[in-house]
Amino acid sequence: MTTPVTDDLIDQLVGLAPGSRTYAARHQREKVAAATQGSYNALFDPALPDLTLTERLLVALYASRLTPAPELAAHYRERLQQAQADAALIQVAEAGEPQDAQRLNQPRLAAILSFTRTLIEKPVEGDKAVLLALPAAGISTPAVVALSQLIAFLSYQVRLVAGLKAMKASEEAHA
Amino acid sequence: MSTPATFQPATVIRSHGFTNESLEWKAWLDVVQLGEATPDQMAVLEESHPKAKTSDYYLFLVHQPHILRERSTAFNAIMYAPGGLSRAERELGATVVSRINGCVYCGSVHAQRFEQLAKRSDTIAQVFEQPETAGTTAREKAIVQFSIKITEQPAALDAGDIDALQAEGLNEGEILDLLHSDAIFAWANRLMLNLGEPLLPA
Repeated sequence: MTTPVTDDLIDQLVGLAPGSRTYAARHQREKVAAATQGSYNALFDPALPDLTLTERLLVALYASRLTPAPELAAHYRERLQQAQADAALIQVAEAGEPQDAQRLNQPRLAAILSFTRTLIEKPVEGDKAVLLALPAAGISTPAVVALSQLIAFLSYQVRLVAGLKAMKASEEAHA
Repeated sequence: MSTPATFQPATVIRSHGFTNESLEWKAWLDVVQLGEATPDQMAVLEESHPKAKTSDYYLFLVHQPHILRERSTAFNAIMYAPGGLSRAERELGATVVSRINGCVYCGSVHAQRFEQLAKRSDTIAQVFEQPETAGTTAREKAIVQFSIKITEQPAALDAGDIDALQAEGLNEGEILDLLHSDAIFAWANRLMLNLGEPLLPA
């Protein structure tokens, strides 16, 4: 990672610095920027109960890879390494499928990644049976809420990064 | 997220499973019972939406109050902040994203909001019928095209997609507002589609 210009994750990942028109436009909506960072902080709060931080980071890496969103995948991979997550589990999120978690005797993670795939790729196919597979795998209702908000937030975050990258590219092309 | 029941669309639109009629929404798992909510959960419900205490959607999400608080702050700042892109055009973006994702509930709410703000629903009828060609002006068509692309292929967005909006007169602040409203519906649609289902009122 290059030296961050701010402690705002989106600015860091897109490479937005004060002085650019895209940065200025974004920070005209400071309340949105703050709530975006606040959502990230809340979703990856180590103290959040019900769903472990490693589970949340594995979901984030898997979702970023599926979209794909390379900057975000790199960010979440780095956080998993910092958290000293099991390399075999990182490999599942990075390159594997939910069944691979099953083969590692991680049925809870397999259910979580399977739900992630549906929500990221085909949210309209997420019917009641897909949701009820989570409590059937021993995942509590508060954990289901945390997981659903996390996947939905990631869907927002990858589009925000992609759109800001395009705005920055347009600004640079016309400089 | 609900629109007051007093709003009646001038013309009922029903197309491809979508409608501008008012719908309700029911969660598939247990919601927080108001009598058992913590003071923190009550505070987050009160700041999220005027009707949150009677809405299955908020009563389900308030199982994680701190996450809901940030999400509600982001949502309200994106959809209601003054200045920038007109609120009707933000609602158009939200409706297109909901149509592409297949979210009938959000499609209904934001079709109604567009009609309330723009005093017409012609563009919404087009979005429900065939989003790929929707838009009554070149500016609306550009907004619709951007909203479809960011929903279906975010990784393929590039400078040309921004230039196409600028060519129709959108400045950076307006483009950012459109980007935010499209992106927040990637979030909202997944909650509405995957945690419960829409119902026609009894």
